[in-house]
Amino acid sequence: MGTPERVAIAAAGVVTPIGADLEAFWSALITGVSGISQIERVRVDDLRVQRGGEVKKLGRIKDWCGVPDCRATRLLIAAADDLCAQAAFRPLPLDPARVAVVVGTALGGVEEGEKALGGDRPSRRFPDALYDGPGLRLARWLGARGPVITVSTACASGATALATAADLLRRDEADAVVAGGYDALCRFVLRGFNALRSLTRDEVRPFDRRRSGLLLGEAGALALLVRERDLRGPRLGTVLGYGSASDGFHIAAPEPSGRGLERAVRAALADARVSPRDVDFVSAHGTATLLNDRIETAALKRALGPRAHEVPVNSIKGALGHTMGAAAALEAFMCLLSAQRGLIPPTLHLEEPDPECDLDYVPGRPRAARPRIMLSTSMGFGGCNGALVLEAA
Amino acid sequence: MRAPAIRGLGLLSGTGSGSGPAPIWTLARPDRPGDRFRRATRECLLALAAVDAMLEDGKAPREAIAGDGTALLYVTAAAYGASNREFIERRGGVMHFAYTAPAVVPAEVAIEFGVTGAYGILIGGAPSTLRAVDQAARLLDEGRCDRALVLVVEIFEECGDLYARHRRFTRWPLVETAACLWLERGDGELRFESTRDGRRAPVPPGGGERFAAGPLADLREWRDRGTGGPIELSGRWRDEHAGLHWSTERSHARDTRGVIRRSER
Repeated sequence: MGTPERVAIAAAGVVTPIGADLEAFWSALITGVSGISQIERVRVDDLRVQRGGEVKKLGRIKDWCGVPDCRATRLLIAAADDLCAQAAFRPLPLDPARVAVVVGTALGGVEEGEKALGGDRPSRRFPDALYDGPGLRLARWLGARGPVITVSTACASGATALATAADLLRRDEADAVVAGGYDALCRFVLRGFNALRSLTRDEVRPFDRRRSGLLLGEAGALALLVRERDLRGPRLGTVLGYGSASDGFHIAAPEPSGRGLERAVRAALADARVSPRDVDFVSAHGTATLLNDRIETAALKRALGPRAHEVPVNSIKGALGHTMGAAAALEAFMCLLSAQRGLIPPTLHLEEPDPECDLDYVPGRPRAARPRIMLSTSMGFGGCNGALVLEAA
Repeated sequence: MRAPAIRGLGLLSGTGSGSGPAPIWTLARPDRPGDRFRRATRECLLALAAVDAMLEDGKAPREAIAGDGTALLYVTAAAYGASNREFIERRGGVMHFAYTAPAVVPAEVAIEFGVTGAYGILIGGAPSTLRAVDQAARLLDEGRCDRALVLVVEIFEECGDLYARHRRFTRWPLVETAACLWLERGDGELRFESTRDGRRAPVPPGGGERFAAGPLADLREWRDRGTGGPIELSGRWRDEHAGLHWSTERSHARDTRGVIRRSER
């Protein structure tokens, strides 16, 4: 087999509960800012848990002319606006037919459906309620005329999107791909997780022995991916490999041994042609549920062997909440920024380590390090496991 | 790209008269014994039934697709609509929420048949299905799996009033379909192409609209016709048009029924 085409992440843009652009996001991660607050945009007074990672300010866009009043679409476009600022483009400096869009989401435009069915919205907005509606709106805003793909592998969606984008470039279906993930906090998902009783009233404490569940967040996270040989200018890093695997166990609960995640990690390392010894840093899914963190620890130990105890592992969900479709993309960008800035953000609210979660989870303060090869893991509803391997610029 | 060989194709297609301004040809909720399926949604049960039909078509036991050598790619444009609506309108009860995720449909297949390999979930219409076949071919070609399943479920009845209010959004009748295609390594040639030309889908000559399931229904029809030769599949969704040229000559598929045998004659 020949050497695979190398795909660079040239730039990234975000809108998150801790910062409305990439720099603010990074500063907040490093300084330990929490984006968890009382949810204000949607009604929560009938829910057990009323807090989450809500985005209070949707980036710099003042005039949303032509963009529908759909939260999911606006999160995506706010992230795209930041990406355009970072990458200094728009209009696109390429043939629009060669620019693709790949987005991952767990919820799509479901809030539009919720509003339409509740009579709050004119029903002509029905197409926006489909899961691929926001991705198509983003393509229109960017002026991209290449493939527009929406993937929905639950909470691994952002990772799947970045990997799908890399595939499009390797197969020469596009010359540039805007890819990442998004999801909005809405009644639908808050009510659902409320029913599942997986939300905590405490802080989100990944890998802490007192952890009692997750909180949801919302975000948009997009990157510009291009073939490295086509890149003129700086890059954030490289997508080296991706792996996925199904648990085949339960529709909502993770498989207790973590074999699915282990298979995904092994597949990603093989795809990237690196060994566990090469891994310098792991961004864990780290939801702070009792099961997830224990299972993930066990899976990482098996997949990485002794190296698992030598590398820093963090989770940024204590700061953001679980941003669902955006989570894996944000975590990938955090990895690349860590390598670029020489600092690994701490796992916020990890104060009393769980003896069953005995890896180096970077508690308390940022860690000085300059990782070269990074692994980012994701687990989602339906037993979706995904792993990305990234290389520093 | 090296084309995969078809090992089996299960297709369940809705039936109806096509009468009325917004007709939907429906599939009945399959009956499946077992406590685990008590809460399962219609789309999940149809997915399982499509895999059963595929195994029957391939004359294979369920163990033949178990394990991490089997990749599972799921495509839908609309199947989550039913469960999402049920949850929004509070008809499903609190435990229903998990079933609103599109990922749950292939998850039920993975659980029931022990499929634990690579997976993907594409949201969209017919072009997404053609892309999924192409992705499956690549997974096979690159040795990332021994077999790949492309699963498509499209149901409409639960959201029939919404489609009726947006008659121009789709073509009619809407035909509920659940299908699963089993692919293994082959020797022909596969070529996928996609363009977004901004044009709306043309009015079909007949047969109804199946969203993502259209290409698998066309494939089944082509196979049943038995004319052989290369397969040309195409589809449109929103403003995207995609085509798949699939030449199956020199296939080494173990089971040479259907498409492969006819193309070799």
